[in-house]
Amino acid sequence: MPGIKIDQFLAAPDREITVVEYQDIFQTEAALKHGKFSKEYQDLSTVILLDPADLKKIGASDGDLVKISSEHGTVVVTAKKSEGDTKHEVMAKEGHQGHPGVGYMPASVWLNILGSTPAPVSAKVSRSQQKIYTVSELIPGFKV
Amino acid sequence: MTCTGCALLCDDIDVHDGEVRPACRIGAAHILNRHQVDPMVNHEIVSIDDAIGHAATLLTDAKHPMFLGFGNSVTETQEIGVRLAEKIGAGIDTCSSHAHLIDDIIHNRVRTCALSEVRDMADVILFWGADPMNTHPRLLSGYAYYPRGKNRQHGWEEDRTAITIDVRRSHTASICKGMHKIVFGHEAEFVDALMLALQNKVPKTVYDSKQVLKLAGTLKKAEFGVIFAGPGLVESVPHDAIIRLMDRLNEFSDFRILPLHSQYNLRSIAAVKTAATVTTTDVATGATTNNTTNNTTNTTTDAADAREQQGVGTQTSKITLNSLREADCILCVGFDLISSLPQACDIDARIIIIDPNETLTAGCADVVIPCAAGGVDMAGTAVRLDGVEIDLPCIMETGQAGVGMPTDTPTRMSDASIMNRLLEAV
Ligand code: SF4
Repeated sequence: MPGIKIDQFLAAPDREITVVEYQDIFQTEAALKHGKFSKEYQDLSTVILLDPADLKKIGASDGDLVKISSEHGTVVVTAKKSEGDTKHEVMAKEGHQGHPGVGYMPASVWLNILGSTPAPVSAKVSRSQQKIYTVSELIPGFKV
Repeated sequence: MTCTGCALLCDDIDVHDGEVRPACRIGAAHILNRHQVDPMVNHEIVSIDDAIGHAATLLTDAKHPMFLGFGNSVTETQEIGVRLAEKIGAGIDTCSSHAHLIDDIIHNRVRTCALSEVRDMADVILFWGADPMNTHPRLLSGYAYYPRGKNRQHGWEEDRTAITIDVRRSHTASICKGMHKIVFGHEAEFVDALMLALQNKVPKTVYDSKQVLKLAGTLKKAEFGVIFAGPGLVESVPHDAIIRLMDRLNEFSDFRILPLHSQYNLRSIAAVKTAATVTTTDVATGATTNNTTNNTTNTTTDAADAREQQGVGTQTSKITLNSLREADCILCVGFDLISSLPQACDIDARIIIIDPNETLTAGCADVVIPCAAGGVDMAGTAVRLDGVEIDLPCIMETGQAGVGMPTDTPTRMSDASIMNRLLEAV
């Protein structure tokens, strides 16, 4: 079957992670400048920073879509290789060895769908073929 | 003019030809924000009078009304909001995790200081669970790190030591001289370890004891130390532990604490609630505070005791679905409930939102009432994060374009006027 790869029929490997909130000035600015329904805000909100080791475990690369599921909900966002990796030497010298098992997401409704943030949320992350849902697709009963 | 983009309330702002200087990118976007919504009832556009009238009916009929927010309103609006709550028996929750620290500061349970003192005297600065480079962008340049102060003429290069304590390496951490990484689930343990280290005892802990001892040594040597308490600290460490740590630090040096919250006037609503003769229910903790003007301090202390006895150790004033389900009408003022708690979209309570900005809550609300933004198109007063009262002149006169502002900006009613109309109508 042309165009269909065998791994599409296999369940994507997943990884238990703790999702933690962070603040991003560019995302706050986008909410104010372009609105909370804008593509600019959505693009900056639907991101998770993952440790390279976690990305490898779920077979994903920087920029791939990943599904994050907690007991409260599921979202699809873009995985980004954590900045920690690029500063690896500095961090290692300081005793910080990256953050395997922990993913960082900017504060937004996409993170809050996963549960009782701002406290850390336990979730599973895996590669995803689905699309990123907009606010109105994400919230049941929502009308724009 | 003053920026109300965050609780720093920078009062050196100028607007010329649509350019906002010298505001940070949050401040500029906040002042020039044009994403306003129309008044709506049941998702249909109506006149502002109809929206206010409908909101008044919902509030009058409500048996268990609840007010959320007010941290992004001018003090004058907060005062009317508290009177409205009193009149209809509503509880008020600011939905901020900083509420209890601010209460401790207001009631002198911890030492605090003015931002000008930080600039002039602070030599050791801790950013604890805080990332001001992303939340209060001008804090480091204006007060906390870079400026040369009266007693700190050499600025950050020689005179100041900034340290970050956080679960992640934030942008602020990247400019600090030290960083201590917090381990999840062991947040309070770091405080305990530091308390022991301050007494020269070696803590048994998941943290590197040598590093904790080194940190304790730096803090003890401080002439004037300041902790900027971000959400990461107040959400994960019980407030009594923060008080004990501050007491211990002050046995060795002079240490102050300042809350680093984003809502520009959160500090004021705490004082307004305390001063009012109103019964307000702290939704998150379930504690009911019967404040009276005569015995404010006692009742607040009782409420704090009650909270502890109910086992609510950590002061996460975090709104929960269960607490919302007790209400039959929720009034959100400058607080985007659905963004914080999207699951609330299908609760049975009627929802009213009064907000200058486009919000996700508008997508689930029964009534949407747009209002002017404090310090942008309405004047008022606000209290900065260090407790200093600041005047908020109008950058743009309501109904007309002000200096350098776009000419097609629509007229907006102030939230104080809207509150007043509701107060008269219920
Ligand atoms: S730091 Fe805060 S108050 Fe100052 S300009 Fe930026 S957003 Fe406005």
